[in-house]
Amino acid sequence: MTNEAFTQLVDAHYAPLYRFALSLSRNGPDAGDLVQQTFFIWATKGHGIRELSKAKAWLFTTLYREYLRGRRRDSRSSSFEDLPPGENEPVAEDVDRVSRIDSAAVMSALQNVDEPFRAPLTLFYLEEMSYQEIADALDVPIGTVMSRLSRGKSQLRTAFVRAESPGTKVLPFPNAKGERAS
Amino acid sequence: MTIQEARFILSAYRPSGADAALPAFSDALRMAAADPSLGAWFARSRAHDAAVAGKLRQVEPPSGLREAILAGVRVSDSQRSRGPGRTWIAGLAAAAALAIVVISMKAPTRPASGAAALAEFAINDMANGRHGGRGEPAGALIAELETRGARMPSAEQIDFEKLRDTGCRALNFAGHDVLEVCFSRDGAVFHFYVARRGAPAGGAPGGGPSFVAEAAGAAAAWSDSRFDYAVASTAGLEAIRKLL
Repeated sequence: MTNEAFTQLVDAHYAPLYRFALSLSRNGPDAGDLVQQTFFIWATKGHGIRELSKAKAWLFTTLYREYLRGRRRDSRSSSFEDLPPGENEPVAEDVDRVSRIDSAAVMSALQNVDEPFRAPLTLFYLEEMSYQEIADALDVPIGTVMSRLSRGKSQLRTAFVRAESPGTKVLPFPNAKGERAS
Repeated sequence: MTIQEARFILSAYRPSGADAALPAFSDALRMAAADPSLGAWFARSRAHDAAVAGKLRQVEPPSGLREAILAGVRVSDSQRSRGPGRTWIAGLAAAAALAIVVISMKAPTRPASGAAALAEFAINDMANGRHGGRGEPAGALIAELETRGARMPSAEQIDFEKLRDTGCRALNFAGHDVLEVCFSRDGAVFHFYVARRGAPAGGAPGGGPSFVAEAAGAAAAWSDSRFDYAVASTAGLEAIRKLL
């Protein structure tokens, strides 16, 4: 792959890969590390992929595997089976709630979703992947993807409600004069 | 199909409508069209999904990440083309250069995304506890590194396992553990990296150092019989040369 082609590949995918990594790792520096590692693996192994249309799926799958590999190393795995069933009742206020909060707070809410649901949810929202594409990228059955999307959305709505509760409300960031936006 | 089953399936329906023609959704979509309560639920669900997706896409990656990716891979590629024996050395140097960018991204700058991102960063950084570990082995190594005029450490001075437990940071580069300690000398801050040898295509030990200079910083990497090393700094290549 030429330098120009590699640059185009990076330009096309590094931002969505970073968002995906940020949702998984819940930590900006770790997300940056994951993205760099993913492109390094591409440069050493993945450039053999001739169809660039498959590059996107390859990059997301590789990043997810690298994340899981690091997580196993840290021994911080969680049990999927112990998670409670999700409720699935979006109400009109949910949409207004999302509109009121900024993108960082939405990402923060997503990061509070249990890990098994976070990866499919992120690919669904950020990359608008179909359930089949998510199943392929994460190497899980289609039914599992649907289940995790359903339950993950429920948890996300709960996280939004918590983000707006008085005890955890996110304050506007001060401007250069130290004043808070109204 | 029950209402609950329809809701379950429709939860995977993309808000753009891209799944409209997929057979897996056809029954649930028909049901939503026929049942007002389900239809209302579906409309709210799609609106919510669209709002969340729109917000998430506004999250921007940190400045410098793109350049770090391109710089690291470009350096690694150019070194690899010079011969198979230099790959790991060049890679480690690239990792060191990249780490400078990553470290600079950790600086407490104000993110454009606002207070939540800053708070989340602070909490995560605090919780992940990467700052500790200044135990005796790391302290001894740092003291050695900070001794004016001292050469960079060699294998006899490195206890990798102890450093792993007490080093500043433990990184992963190309699937290999890399330990890092930070030190200062003559007013400049340096980052010293050590990795066990045994990486694929590891360079021959005892050769001269490889130097890399990028906009984000400079680094040198070299090997001895047991380890690969790199030292990196934003102080420039000349400051690094003085250490070696």
